[in-house]
Amino acid sequence: MKRELESIEIAGEHDAREQAWEVVRTAFAEREPATPERHRLRFAVVVVAAFALLAAALSPPGRAVLDEIREAVGVERAQPGLFSLPAPGRALVASDAGVWVVQQDGSKRLLGDYRDASWSPFGRFLVATRAHELAALEPNGEIRWTLARRDVRAPRWAGSDTNTRIAYLTTSRVHVVAGDGTGDVDAGGPAARVAPVWRPGPEFTLTYVNTVGRVSGPWATAPGPGWSRRFRAPRKLEWSSDGTRLLLLTRKALVLFGPRSSTPLSIRTERLVDAAFRPRSHELAVIRTRQGVSELLLGQRVLFRGTGRFRDLAWSPDGRWLLVGWPAADQWVFVRADGGSIRAVAKVSRQFRSESFPDVVGWCCAP
Amino acid sequence: MRAGRDERAHLRGAQRGSASDLEALFRIHWPRAHRAAYLVTHDAQAAEDIAQESFLAALRALDRFDRRRPFGPWLHRIVVNRAIDWTRARRLRAEVELSDSLPAGERSAAPQDDVLTALGRLPAEQRAVIVLRHLLEFTPGEIAEALDLPRGTVNSRLRRGLDSLVEEL
Repeated sequence: MKRELESIEIAGEHDAREQAWEVVRTAFAEREPATPERHRLRFAVVVVAAFALLAAALSPPGRAVLDEIREAVGVERAQPGLFSLPAPGRALVASDAGVWVVQQDGSKRLLGDYRDASWSPFGRFLVATRAHELAALEPNGEIRWTLARRDVRAPRWAGSDTNTRIAYLTTSRVHVVAGDGTGDVDAGGPAARVAPVWRPGPEFTLTYVNTVGRVSGPWATAPGPGWSRRFRAPRKLEWSSDGTRLLLLTRKALVLFGPRSSTPLSIRTERLVDAAFRPRSHELAVIRTRQGVSELLLGQRVLFRGTGRFRDLAWSPDGRWLLVGWPAADQWVFVRADGGSIRAVAKVSRQFRSESFPDVVGWCCAP
Repeated sequence: MRAGRDERAHLRGAQRGSASDLEALFRIHWPRAHRAAYLVTHDAQAAEDIAQESFLAALRALDRFDRRRPFGPWLHRIVVNRAIDWTRARRLRAEVELSDSLPAGERSAAPQDDVLTALGRLPAEQRAVIVLRHLLEFTPGEIAEALDLPRGTVNSRLRRGLDSLVEEL
């Protein structure tokens, strides 16, 4: 019997093993405990680097190089505070302190020690997560309901005036709950740490990535007659606002799908940091980084370029402004989509009481 | 004995952060974990997901794992329980088959093997005990503990499952 069971052929066995190993290896690298040896090594590297920088800075040519770097990283005339957003709407920002709502006039409210959030469809509410809690809130921070679940993250809210759903991830599953916090269900199989997305439209159709990189959907809240296809290292999913284009960003490519088929409409094989559809359009803004220089592009046009790595691409709700984070400069840069002007905000981390660089997790509808 | 020592050494290495030791553990245990999941679920995609998820679960608990215990049975227990859960969930959802909408390379294997076909006709609970007993070589007592079942239930499931298999074959 044992021999019989061992001789049964399993389709794709080799690919499955190698793909799984890649996922396990990556997870292991993220959790790798620091050993005393590595602490010592890191300390040694820091000491050597500090001496090298000091020596470089003290020499006249070295001082010139440091000045040049200082000037190249960041927009020189950045505003010292976030006095306003350049377009109507409100932003959601996640920092070490928690999740903040930023009004167009620049006023900020800290909602609590949440780590991720997203707006409801019309921006009247928001859904936020902390370690083991999903919470629906009003923009003033008043809690409407909460749901205790393990390791909750990446909530996404969709629907109409009268009927809404929230998709979210737990340790390894994708769940869906009604907008009033009732009827929570496990909506699919094991899910990767990629935010699930609702397809815009009258039906609740969900697309998500499972733990072996298989993109599944669009499904009407539970697995059904959608499609499923595997990709290497998926990182982001996003629907265009008309629900006719699905964007998949992987480690090495940007893939575009139509509304129903798993056959891509186009594949752009390039390492991109982020990509986002312009509201009410199929135009794509992307961030790419090459040889230490990041570029923000709209279509083929470079709108803005800088030293270091940009991240967190966000469109204003009216589709006229783009926001990129520039952690090396501790700045946010607002770039007009027509390339007409830029506005930068300095010392972003301090403004959001954060050691790490704050993430813009949503920029939504005007009240 | 040697294999046991090697496994303990790999476990110790992995707990200390060695990726090569983790890879050794993965290469030793993946084939059986994946096969066990497949034989219980009869779905190649689900088997892949379940085996991988089980490794990730094991990884999350690695620091707390007692190195004196063998790693394989611990992992296989996770795999088989998840495979049973998946099969039950699919039954409850009456899941629509995706095969018509999948590209050829994505489809699960059609069960061509006689044993596989016969196994597929058994209830998942019987498949699981047969896989644990005859592929993973658990004793009935170990199966009872792994599946949280009375030993008598394990024995009866084994007997009924094997009887059905003999009839089918």
